[in-house]
Amino acid sequence: MFVSTYRITKFAFQNFWRNFWLSVITITMLVMTLVTVNILLILNYVTDQAISSVEDRIEVSVYFEQDTKQETVDSAVSYLRGLSQVRDVVTISPDDALKRFTEQHKDSPVVLDSLNELGGNPFGATLIVKAKEAQDFTQILDALENPQFRDAIREKDFSDYQQIIERIQGTTERIRFFGLVIMGIFIAIAILIVFNTVRIGIFIHREEIGIMRLVGASNWFIKAPFLLEMILLSLLAILLVVAIIYPGLAALEPKFSFFFANDSIGLIDYFEKNGLRIFGIEFGVLVVLTLLSTSLAMRKYLKV
Amino acid sequence: MIKFKNVSKMYPPNIVGLEEINLHISAGEFVSIVGQSGTGKSTLAKMLFAEERPTRGTIEIGGWDITNIRSKDVPVLRRQIGVVFQDFKLLQKKTVYENVAFALQVAGVMPRRIREIVPAVLNIVNLDKMHERFPTQLSGGEQQRVAIARSLVHQPKVLIADEPTGNLDTLNSREIVDLLQRINEFGTTVLLVTHDREIVNRIKKRVITLEGGTIVSDVEQGRYKL
Ligand SMILES: Nc1ncnc2c1ncn2[C@@H]1O[C@H](COP(=O)(O)OP(=O)(O)OP(=O)(O)O)[C@@H](O)[C@H]1O
Ligand SMILES: [Mg+2]
Repeated sequence: MFVSTYRITKFAFQNFWRNFWLSVITITMLVMTLVTVNILLILNYVTDQAISSVEDRIEVSVYFEQDTKQETVDSAVSYLRGLSQVRDVVTISPDDALKRFTEQHKDSPVVLDSLNELGGNPFGATLIVKAKEAQDFTQILDALENPQFRDAIREKDFSDYQQIIERIQGTTERIRFFGLVIMGIFIAIAILIVFNTVRIGIFIHREEIGIMRLVGASNWFIKAPFLLEMILLSLLAILLVVAIIYPGLAALEPKFSFFFANDSIGLIDYFEKNGLRIFGIEFGVLVVLTLLSTSLAMRKYLKV
Repeated sequence: MIKFKNVSKMYPPNIVGLEEINLHISAGEFVSIVGQSGTGKSTLAKMLFAEERPTRGTIEIGGWDITNIRSKDVPVLRRQIGVVFQDFKLLQKKTVYENVAFALQVAGVMPRRIREIVPAVLNIVNLDKMHERFPTQLSGGEQQRVAIARSLVHQPKVLIADEPTGNLDTLNSREIVDLLQRINEFGTTVLLVTHDREIVNRIKKRVITLEGGTIVSDVEQGRYKL
């Protein structure tokens, strides 16, 4: 068993070196396919981050009349909390509202002066309602039309992020579609190239294989070097991809952060935490694909 | 040892390879199979090492029904049958020693056993001094002896030689046939497919003559007719 393993490995490496350029082409194609897959993954992650960072900002501010009873406000809060679209409701008391307002406008004396002229605290309670998703927004606004407290509400204020999100989604949808098409093409090419590499390998070794068959080499012994060679190529490809992706991420991350106007979108973090899983799965799928293609080529040209 | 029962072989679309062959070969026999070109001699040989399957009938070898042998059992069969061909089928990039060792390596034999067996079989075929030569540095007769040595590594019960002398001159042919006879004397059943009248007449053993895929004569101590 051990001797056979050694001999099979030796044959596999021989295949690899004897068709060095073929091996290079095969690996290149596998790498290109994998890079596309990873770009799609990154895109997916960045989009998700972008959307959730926008979604974080989706909120409806509900200003109650100055003289609204606390009970009304409370019932509105518990009603809103009961809605499935609502992520969180923050209550701001009239005093806090005043403080916030003065804080926000501390640099504009005009505003503060006019506030003083009004005298006292002109603010009622304020609710800040956060939606779970952008499209939940309209339902929340509808819900606020509830007659129980509709009349106590002086004003509703919201920023409409729906459009921004739709634009992000629209763009990524298109990029993703292209990406998937390219990925599909690359996978098809990769399968064909692996198929062809194995075919040529079989052709180059046809004499040897013929003799192996005649002297009673098991089918497994004849097939294994080709399978092993492809696993080897897949492994090299995935290592190369790792070597490309991580520096790539390091270069990309600052650029994204610039767009997001916050310190980090955690792309590197994400790949560091999930890298093993991501590349592990990719390697697994790659091996399955190459072995499938190898088996096809062997079935066709090896007849064992 | 070898039994053919009503064996027919059709090649697609409808070429007759063999037709209704009934044949019994006992252990230790030396059988020559003769006949004109295209009469199915190689087809008969190929069915014995499962290179071809019969279309009808059954083939048994050493009590083993190989008529519908599964592909994973074929290697097992081939390790019990030595085969030799007209074109030697040696690997040009390997030395004599390596060519013979190769047959053992692909069967997963341990290196130490290989180092014992290879010199022994090369000794049988008188190639002791040529271990390190490459096939291109050998005469046709010597190359065929390497092939025979290789066919012997598993101590086969049956040796099938399909026109082993087809590429050789008279002298070398005689040497090869003498070698086959010696191997036969050690107890191996030998099937020799040949065209060569002189050889058959020299051997004076059983001769089976094929014509159009059927056996037209089967005689002990036969001579080449036709
Ligand atoms: N793979 C094949 N496909 C179709 N026909 C075949 C095949 N192999 C052999 N034949 C045909 O079967 C018949 C017997 O062929 P076979 O090779 O057994 O003849 P042979 O007696 O060995 O001839 P030779 O003396 O020339 O080697 C021939 O008519 C040949 O053309
Ligand atoms: Mg023939």
